[in-house]
Amino acid sequence: MMPPGLTREADAGRYLLRLRGCWCIGHLVEVDALFADLPLPDGQRVHLDAAAVERLDGTGVMILVNRLRAMGVVWPEVVLEHFAPAQLTLIHLIADRLDARAPPPSRREPVLARLGRLGAQAQTGLLAHVEFLGRLVEAGGELIRHPRRLRHRELVTQVRAVGLGALPIIMLMTFLVGIVFAFLLGIQVQKFGANIFVVDGIGLAVARELSPLLTAILVAGRSGAAFTAQIGAMKVTEEIDAIATLGLSPIQVLVLPRLIAIVIALPLLTFVGDVMGILGAALVAASQLDVGYYTFFDRLRAVLPVNTVLFGLSKAPVFAAAIAFIACRNGFAVSRDARSVGARTTATVVQSLVAVILINALFAVLHPENPQ
Amino acid sequence: MTDAGAILVADRVRTRLGGHWLHRGVSFSIRPGEVVALIGASGTGKSVLLRECIGLHRPSGGHLRLFGEDVWALPARRLGEIRARYGVLFQEGALFSSLTVAENVAVPLREHAELPPRLRDEVVTMKIRLAGLPMEAAHKRPSELSGGMKKRAALARALALEPELLFLDEPTSGLDPISAREFDHLLRVLCDSLGLTALIATHDLDSLWGMVDRVIVLYAGEVIADGPVASVSALDHPWIQSYFAAHSGGRT
Repeated sequence: MMPPGLTREADAGRYLLRLRGCWCIGHLVEVDALFADLPLPDGQRVHLDAAAVERLDGTGVMILVNRLRAMGVVWPEVVLEHFAPAQLTLIHLIADRLDARAPPPSRREPVLARLGRLGAQAQTGLLAHVEFLGRLVEAGGELIRHPRRLRHRELVTQVRAVGLGALPIIMLMTFLVGIVFAFLLGIQVQKFGANIFVVDGIGLAVARELSPLLTAILVAGRSGAAFTAQIGAMKVTEEIDAIATLGLSPIQVLVLPRLIAIVIALPLLTFVGDVMGILGAALVAASQLDVGYYTFFDRLRAVLPVNTVLFGLSKAPVFAAAIAFIACRNGFAVSRDARSVGARTTATVVQSLVAVILINALFAVLHPENPQ
Repeated sequence: MTDAGAILVADRVRTRLGGHWLHRGVSFSIRPGEVVALIGASGTGKSVLLRECIGLHRPSGGHLRLFGEDVWALPARRLGEIRARYGVLFQEGALFSSLTVAENVAVPLREHAELPPRLRDEVVTMKIRLAGLPMEAAHKRPSELSGGMKKRAALARALALEPELLFLDEPTSGLDPISAREFDHLLRVLCDSLGLTALIATHDLDSLWGMVDRVIVLYAGEVIADGPVASVSALDHPWIQSYFAAHSGGRT
């Protein structure tokens, strides 16, 4: 196809532009360049001649209209010669539609304005959190008064998804961490020839800190993200509105079963984590530190009081409630676009990890001593 | 049926979906500049046929030729070139929700047209104006737009690369009758002035009477009628009769 071209012929008060070639999107840069050093028409009447035009599309017309306007040409006074009827309709349509100049794109916000907007957003976000907590407590209270309203099937499904589904990964992770921890601790105690004390360290560390924390972190990443994505996707497809219009409470139907499921499942998973972590440590102790299995568990029974294990397990429901609250709240906060689901899911994981670690610190401060 | 010079040809297209035959040999052709409506009951595979035409769903048999090339026999690179020559308006608009309207329209231009940013912005502005959107809408997200404005924004994106052919899936569904007629009018004006060919899958009888040149009726996996609206509506077929009777109140 011929490249676009433009020749000017000025005679007797006439300003004639002859267009030729392809005035279309594939040659737009060349078309634009044609107008670069065109002299101004100076009050002469502009004539356009399209006898040699091969193709003229919307973008070509756009350049023609915009550039001539920029040169001060009043559009309806242009004389159009040898244009095809379809090209004339196109020119009139585009000249008509492009009369209004585009407003400049929105300017960048000043820092102070952005700060203010962020503050206001944080406030509404916090208020929405409190409101959600209120609705959750209200729904919980109602459930206590009418226990039969609990969605048993949903609860069982969720316990299976949160608990059984996470079992292999929890077992593997805590087992490996038990091995690593016993191995590193073993190097230290061996220096003093106090190999047997590896049991004291492992028992305390696994039961009190490692297993509850590790399990909560894994579940926050696994189930927390799933809760947000599930609820968020339902929000996008208006399923949550449908639940509400059917006279059901979305909190009752969606949030409470998940909350209860995770509060049940997390302590159980934590206990499995305790067992696996200690098994991993026992393996290392037997193979590397000359502490046999019988000696290991005998010593463990002497130095690990059941209260320590219960203390570790008692953290799990609190972690679980925080994860469920954050995950469901973020699920409900999803707006109706695709990116929001991803952003909220990320927020869930980050927020629930922070919450788990803060709560864990709080437990440590409130009960610094090993409860006997 | 003459295929010479046709821009889109469906040749005995057969589609098996979910264990039964959706299309049992669909044939039609569309010549440049025609605005053709594809009608049929829900579930007769209008949308699937459109998806097959635009290279998204492989038919089980038959051929689809776009611009004279068999869509499903082309290497991926050639299909990409052909894709720049047609625009698609999806049923729900399918605007990218994380981009503004202007950015949505700019996406095909960024990918397929090598334009400096200044020219690209100019083209985007023109397309948005051409689709009948106010310039305030350019910097809004799709979620902030009404249904009619979303369709217009999607149309602006479909038209971004100056396509020769436009596929529209239920362009007026979900719009109120006034917006729907305005959208039909806009489409017709654009098709006439840009020289566009259009294939529209629709349910909207008013669109049929108002703006299309020809109508193709899909029924039980086959084309049972193909012609101008007036002659198709006069055909003696139970489905066609009940379809056109459904809206004939107040119309003759």
